[in-house]
Amino acid sequence: MKMSIKIIKKGLSDRIIDAGRYGFQHLGIQPSGPMDFLSAQLANTILDNDLNHPVFELHFPASIFEFQEPLYICISGANFVPVINDKSVALNTPIQVYPKDQLSFLQPIEGRSCYLAFKGKLDENKKWLNSFSSFQSTLNKEDHFSIQPAPFSDGSVNSIKNDLVHQVQNTLFNSHEIRFIPGPAWNDLAPSSIQVLMQQTFTIDAKSNRMGFLLEGSPIHLTEPKQYVSSAVTMGTLQLLPNGQIIVLMADHQTIGGYANLGQIILVDLPRLAQLNNHSHFKLSITNVQTAHQLYRSIQSWFIH
Amino acid sequence: MVSLGMQNLGKQFQVQLLGDHAILIKLSKGLNEGIDHDLLALAAYLKRQKITGIKDIILAYDNLTLVYDILDFDANPFLFVNQLVATYIAEASNHNASNSKVRLIEVPVCYDVSLGIDLQNAVKASNCSIDELIQQHSEKIYTVYCLGFLPGFAYMGEVPHAIQLPRHPSPRSKVLAGSVGIAGKQTGIYPMNSPGGWQIIGRTPIKIFDPTSTLLTLFNAGDQVKFKPIDLKLFHTLNAHEDVH
Repeated sequence: MKMSIKIIKKGLSDRIIDAGRYGFQHLGIQPSGPMDFLSAQLANTILDNDLNHPVFELHFPASIFEFQEPLYICISGANFVPVINDKSVALNTPIQVYPKDQLSFLQPIEGRSCYLAFKGKLDENKKWLNSFSSFQSTLNKEDHFSIQPAPFSDGSVNSIKNDLVHQVQNTLFNSHEIRFIPGPAWNDLAPSSIQVLMQQTFTIDAKSNRMGFLLEGSPIHLTEPKQYVSSAVTMGTLQLLPNGQIIVLMADHQTIGGYANLGQIILVDLPRLAQLNNHSHFKLSITNVQTAHQLYRSIQSWFIH
Repeated sequence: MVSLGMQNLGKQFQVQLLGDHAILIKLSKGLNEGIDHDLLALAAYLKRQKITGIKDIILAYDNLTLVYDILDFDANPFLFVNQLVATYIAEASNHNASNSKVRLIEVPVCYDVSLGIDLQNAVKASNCSIDELIQQHSEKIYTVYCLGFLPGFAYMGEVPHAIQLPRHPSPRSKVLAGSVGIAGKQTGIYPMNSPGGWQIIGRTPIKIFDPTSTLLTLFNAGDQVKFKPIDLKLFHTLNAHEDVH
């Protein structure tokens, strides 16, 4: 197999991801899935890939990629102004690249996580425990990826895909609603803190990363100090730290947590949260599991074609 | 939340939804020390069912979390999981879960001051000799309550009262793979080089996490663990860590 994609400049924190590495959390091995599953699935759908085909997840400043054989790619999610050989290219559309083409990203205009999908089969040697997701590592200069290019019946995005692009873009960038379902420690909150939590605007702290988003806001308190028995946490768990700050666990969360579990951000709102940059604002609102399941089923039905 | 009783064992499980993709099952009465054989057996039973859509089954202390994908279920899996737990309870009365096999894993540890970088402070804080501390730490049989923090990192307890030590106020930037630490009532081993705040009293030469092995981790939740003191010479003979000198 030939070398198809090579990293010629290292980005801040780029990696390969697929739907994640499940079935090993009881051993402390985290799933390492995407921050924004919607954009990853969108990029794959535009290339007629399986929804959970591996993709590159990029953060700004992103890596510079060089292609070494003809390949179709698609870029979705955050807009970092992608250019190929200094010529700007569109998001959410199939792009054919040729040997020696270089893909770089100029500036972060909108969003936080960008996804680069490719049409072809990634070298199986990159797989560990049934997943291509990078395990506690990021892309480095000189890393290269062998891809067996797959045929793709060209260029033009049909109207079904156009609708899908609009639906996903709307979901990600035209609303700031972040809904959650109260968790086991919710009833331990001081009533005044519940009021603060439901009314205040939270700001994403600069220390936030793929492990978690730390929220700036007025401190939240329990009615009385309480120790919790540790239990499993998932992406979207709202943990209350002893200093009164909330952390939302994200894609690289640890598997077990011992802090107060105030609730869980619902799956459909995680991509929207994941696309918020540090210093962005949002408010929390309460929903229930029936609504959350219904919304998730309906979003996933967009991708069935 | 639903409570399901094991009347024959005087035990109850509580089943509770966690957000929109997990379910928590916990012992109503909690846990003091050691493991709960019925919870372990329930985890093993659920694993054996190999249910499509249950992506992870994670045991920790007195609880068990199932991570699910709603797309694999026609309805909310809450009732389904309740039924599974009820079925387990009904079947458990036929065979005594307390007889389930528990592994005892012996782990060689070198408690030399060159490896146990907090050992000298630890004996001062515990007001005992190094030999006494080693004896206290190594004669106890510990239970693995859960794995977390890092792949293969086992939270074990309980450390004898006399040698319980608080975490460092700010973590070290690098603790070596295999380092054995104490934090309060718990003891654990760092599976890889990592930042860490536990008080390091020794080091094991064996790998407790190996991404290339089929077992991946030395420990599983529920295992029993005993530390066996070894000298520095044997440590170096057995050392399986990729130390960079």
